[in-house]
Amino acid sequence: MNLREFGFGEFSFLLLSARWTILLSLIAFAGGGALGLVIAALRISARRPVRMIAAGYIRFFQSTPILIQLFMAYYGTAFIGLSPDPWTAAAITFTLNAAAFFGDIFRGSIEAIPHGQWEAAKALSLRHLQTLRLVILPQALKLMLPPTVGFMVQIVKTTSVASLIGLTELARTATMINTVTFEPMLVFGSVALIYFALCWPMSLLALHLERQLEVEGRGRAALA
Amino acid sequence: MFTARLRTMIAAGAAMVLSTLLLATAPQPAAAETVDDIISRGKVVIAIDTTTPPYGMIDEQFQPAGFDIEFAKKIGEALGVPVEFVTVTSPGRIPALLTNRADMVVSIFSITAPRALQVAFSIPYAGQSAVVLAPKSTAIKSHADLVGKKVGLTRGTGEDGLLTEAAKANPGIEILRFDDYASLLQAMVSGQIDAMGGGDYGDIYLKKSAKGDDFEMKYILKTFYFGVGVRRDNPDLLRWLNTFIFTLKQDGTLEQLSQKYRNTPLPPLPVF
Amino acid sequence: MQSYVFQFGPILIRSEELIHGAWLTVWFASVSMVLGLAIGLLGAVTRSFGPRWLSAAVAAYVELIRNTPLLIQLYFVFFTLPFLGLKLSSSAAAILALSIHLGAYATEILRAGIQSIPAGQIEAAKSLGLKPIQIVRRILLLQALRAVYPALCGQFILQLLGTSIISAIAAEELTAIANNMVMQTFRSFEVYITVAVVYFVLVQAFSLLFQGFSRIFFRWKI
Repeated sequence: MNLREFGFGEFSFLLLSARWTILLSLIAFAGGGALGLVIAALRISARRPVRMIAAGYIRFFQSTPILIQLFMAYYGTAFIGLSPDPWTAAAITFTLNAAAFFGDIFRGSIEAIPHGQWEAAKALSLRHLQTLRLVILPQALKLMLPPTVGFMVQIVKTTSVASLIGLTELARTATMINTVTFEPMLVFGSVALIYFALCWPMSLLALHLERQLEVEGRGRAALA
Repeated sequence: MFTARLRTMIAAGAAMVLSTLLLATAPQPAAAETVDDIISRGKVVIAIDTTTPPYGMIDEQFQPAGFDIEFAKKIGEALGVPVEFVTVTSPGRIPALLTNRADMVVSIFSITAPRALQVAFSIPYAGQSAVVLAPKSTAIKSHADLVGKKVGLTRGTGEDGLLTEAAKANPGIEILRFDDYASLLQAMVSGQIDAMGGGDYGDIYLKKSAKGDDFEMKYILKTFYFGVGVRRDNPDLLRWLNTFIFTLKQDGTLEQLSQKYRNTPLPPLPVF
Repeated sequence: MQSYVFQFGPILIRSEELIHGAWLTVWFASVSMVLGLAIGLLGAVTRSFGPRWLSAAVAAYVELIRNTPLLIQLYFVFFTLPFLGLKLSSSAAAILALSIHLGAYATEILRAGIQSIPAGQIEAAKSLGLKPIQIVRRILLLQALRAVYPALCGQFILQLLGTSIISAIAAEELTAIANNMVMQTFRSFEVYITVAVVYFVLVQAFSLLFQGFSRIFFRWKI
């Protein structure tokens, strides 16, 4: 065997492998975001047992490494007679894990809104969910957006742990190519560029959204 | 607020313990698999790792290639069924077998007694010497010369076990464990380590770097033998694999593979 | 499947190694949290009130770090800096990369916190004759910290779990020691379950600590 050069073919292969990173991220955004909303709503529910269950869920997934969660989802499920393929195992793990973080970010921002607003809404005879939707969430969104999109970027980068169960996404492909070319600076430099190209637009979008909200906020303040 | 937090912690902790117990006590389906089962199923599933050149890697067409891969394909040919590859990482090799993800593992699986408590090994189909590599300018002849030096190695390899023992016997050897071979060699080239433990094909890499010719093999640690891993309750498949490996060894196929991928001959392969 | 018998014995007799690993993880996480928070405070203030060019430089730092994986940053610090004349040990390189990484997130989170404080407060403070540094220290920082405290703590916990990849540059911590154990005992299920429990306990300890801090520092009512 001889080592080869890191050429155009190697770079395109690396670039192509990013599609699995993108797909896995999209699954985590969609699944984790939707489930995260539910978790956040449960977390601030008026009923205590519901709150406890949601809190336990968040705590469990936030407190253990996703690497181990993934390992258990893929290999450990055999002990309960299941045998998901790598994609199913990764999709489930990333959805469940992202939901815990999204849920907690949403809840944190909601709770940062002064409690007086809840009481005021109550005085206006708004119900719990109405208050949440009409009064709290619009304000919480401003606090929620930067960490949410920050975490989305985090998800894109975290998908690299899927290489543990043999998914050849961007990071594992990089290792594969590095071991046959031994050009770590070129290989990982390219990988950094590709991740940056994936993540930066999201960060810019977040900044844009945040600025828009600020403008809206100022507008209201000036009127008042 | 404080006690509520504690309560959710306890709840989540309890859930974790419960799920562990559930895992531990769940009924486990038994499926002893024979060679006939594989043939009638029409495919053999083999676990490989494509990040372990020259044994498992990708070729110019980005398809799996290497000593292990070609050997695995020959297993399929001999069985008369197509091979389905599943990719595993080093820590996933034993779980892949135990959880029925693969019929066998062909991935630089060194034959050791602790591993054999969990999976069964065929007789060796390949082997390599673990060696110590260092710059030519550094005088190293034995473990004693490594004292006061930073010695790099790849986590969990045979070199890891041997040099960790050496570090215990010779205080002052600093061991640095890397996750893959390419990182280890990069550390060597960057000067982050003074010496490294690696396979006897290790200089393929160093030769590519600008300072490649500055390195040399210092001394041999031990020879390791790679076997095919199968589940322990599978004596039928194991017997067939041993016979198959015996024939490939006799007709020179294994030696050819070694020259093709490792650029060096195989060490003599004992049987057990 | 071959019926599997769980054997926690080989892991439990190595509990000393596990405790050592947990300690290393706590050490790497704590040091990088303190340094990261310091970078974040400095970065957020500069980003919000600094001169335009400096603010842009901080923004570039934040974007560069947040949008590339920590692994690559670790590789850069450990493998590339030696060619530029800076050779750091595994631990020092890990601390540097972890702090720079967390610092970028902390900058962004704290900036959002500063932004959430009504401009009127700054005006009021100015009219009371407070100097800019006093305004930042007395009016903005604590309030900003409080506003984004949950997000910041979330990031800190991510950092605690994120330290697990520093083994890529040969720094030892809990996951690295767990992987050593997997290689020695070949009992990956048992090792990973045990280590998950250890991480769980560590995260709870840090959460309680953060909770305690918030009770000390954010006592006032809004």
